[in-house]
Amino acid sequence: MNLLAVSINHRTAPVELRESLHLSQDEIKQMLKGLKDTLFSEGFIISTCNRTEIYGFPLNPHTNFNDLQKFLIDNKSVEGIGPTNFQNFFSCSAINHLFRVSAGIDSLFMGDNQILGQVKESFQLSEDIDFAGFLMKRVFDSAIKVGKRAKTETIISDGAITVSYAAVQLIEKIFSNLHRKSALVIGAGETGEIAAKHLRDKGIGALTITNRTLKKAEKLAETVHARIIPFQYFKEQLNDFDIVISATSAPELILSFNDVKMAMKKRNSASTCFMDIAVPRDIDPMISQLDNVFYHDIDSLKIIVEQNLKKRQAEVPKVESIVMEEMINLFSWYNSLEVTPTIKLLRQHFEDIRAEEVEKLKNKFTNEDIDKLDIVTKRIINKLLHHPTVELKKISEDGSGSQESVIRVNVIKSLFGLNENDNSSSSDNNGTDRENG
Amino acid sequence: MYSAVKILNILLPFLYCLTFLVYLYDFVKEKNRFANSKRIFLFVTLLTHAIYLLVRTVEFNHPPITNVFEIFTVLAFAISCSYFILELLTDIRGTGLFIIIFSIIFQLISSIFIQDLLQVREVLRNRMLGLHVISALLGYSGITISAVYGILFWILYKEIKLNRFGLIFDRLPSLDVLEQLSFYSVVIGFVLFSVAITIGVVWLPSAFPNFNYFDPKLTVTAVIWLIYGLGILSKIVGRWHGKKVIVFSIAGFCLAIFSMLLTNFLAKSFHSFY
Repeated sequence: MNLLAVSINHRTAPVELRESLHLSQDEIKQMLKGLKDTLFSEGFIISTCNRTEIYGFPLNPHTNFNDLQKFLIDNKSVEGIGPTNFQNFFSCSAINHLFRVSAGIDSLFMGDNQILGQVKESFQLSEDIDFAGFLMKRVFDSAIKVGKRAKTETIISDGAITVSYAAVQLIEKIFSNLHRKSALVIGAGETGEIAAKHLRDKGIGALTITNRTLKKAEKLAETVHARIIPFQYFKEQLNDFDIVISATSAPELILSFNDVKMAMKKRNSASTCFMDIAVPRDIDPMISQLDNVFYHDIDSLKIIVEQNLKKRQAEVPKVESIVMEEMINLFSWYNSLEVTPTIKLLRQHFEDIRAEEVEKLKNKFTNEDIDKLDIVTKRIINKLLHHPTVELKKISEDGSGSQESVIRVNVIKSLFGLNENDNSSSSDNNGTDRENG
Repeated sequence: MYSAVKILNILLPFLYCLTFLVYLYDFVKEKNRFANSKRIFLFVTLLTHAIYLLVRTVEFNHPPITNVFEIFTVLAFAISCSYFILELLTDIRGTGLFIIIFSIIFQLISSIFIQDLLQVREVLRNRMLGLHVISALLGYSGITISAVYGILFWILYKEIKLNRFGLIFDRLPSLDVLEQLSFYSVVIGFVLFSVAITIGVVWLPSAFPNFNYFDPKLTVTAVIWLIYGLGILSKIVGRWHGKKVIVFSIAGFCLAIFSMLLTNFLAKSFHSFY
């Protein structure tokens, strides 16, 4: 399989270069058209904030990695980028890399949840412009299968790996149904915004934002469909909230032990979760001594993140074995593609010999006898070829035992002197040269 | 038939242990092959146990409530059966092993010490007594399950407060869910206790000539029933939350078991049959 791939990713290039090579959907569509016209018979492009990758089957056997790198650099006009910023893959290694990307084990954040969706989108863009043929679709399907298996059969994507998400994960361990809960986010900065978005994504019942600068609070509230309370009044309404996430840049505490104690009294000590993800801290850590108050600061949330990262790392060997299994499946199927043209060639070869011999005897028999001879010889050929045909078809249908199928096909070709050039039907299915494995 | 009773009596503790091990494996290992099939193990164990109780009833011609160890086997069945229904209804996993362990304890004691009585007091063959005892046992299984969920809540509560995010944190459902399960179990237990008490109050005076409303066992039961009733009411009107509900559930369970043991073995009561 002569699949070519180049990748620029978090391991090969700094963030500035990755950013400058990041492609929008329109740019990907434009570049796919360019690739289709000049370099590839089938192909696709993956572009995320951490990687830009091009995959494809070359039109010309002389197309190499340099052509691909040049194509990418020329189209994005990026300076300061060189061959060392690229990883190059061919055939097996290209498939292996794609499968690892789909499974999330090549991501900056191990087990990245979003990458599979991004890979799917890339495939879709390629299909939209008819740039994904029979072979590439099979590669797509296998890559998606790897991603799904990694998610369902392992815990590679389980657990939070960012502090904001860890806060939400911890909240979910306290409250079962966020739809019925109300949350207050104090601080409308980047961290507060991420936390508010996570809560909204988890379907929080009521979301409120408060911030010293009202305008910033309004802007965030609009994004996450939240209500606002002025910063100077939020303490008075503290008892209304089941969840409080604080992420301000205030240099001193903004919630004291007494503030929380008063609020808990008003709430009849109903469970309340305080997530202090600010540095320096916003909430007095002493509140953790109060019954039904769950207080966690950035250090305790980091414990969750680190544990989850370790767990994900431990799952990598399992994911790698899934990658290997699916690579074997894909290449077994690919190698079995050789079988059908070989059967055709073999039958054609026998038919040619039979027809030639019958033709030689044409003048020595009557027309009636020639017809009979024709029938008899065809029957003999069919009987002779029945078993080999069935055996070869079995390999083709199973898509298994690739090595065996390659050996059998080559033995038959060699024994009977079958030449693919003799028969146009035996040419490559996708218009590209193929290699075994 | 008698040999079937004997074989099933020996088999049951092993089946409960096997089911416990499967639930334990599922608890420790994430995404394993027993994640869904573990229910089958519990179902088979419960089915075997139901057959055992049936065969025993037919063989000895009385419901298995004539001695403490027969009561224990019914209790073991009631606890696991209640949990099985709860798991099917809520699809909440990861708590089964903590419940099944109680069935193992009760069944093991029962299997070792059970007596095969052919001659029992006539009153113990009465259907009303059967209903009274069964509803009381289901009530006990309700408060036992409630207490187990209470203890699990307590453990998880401490783990979260102390920033220990280990296996317990990973596998147990949320505190909210544990509190709800504990509360629902106690409500079901309370309702069944109420049924048992009602049957008792209506039927016992006619069945026992020496019936006495101030019998120690009845008094203790009434006090426990009242405490549970007040606790449930406090939760319903929103006065009690989280830790308070759980403390109530665990304390109620301890009080119920302790006082029952005390009145059963020490006090003289018309209500003692064994």
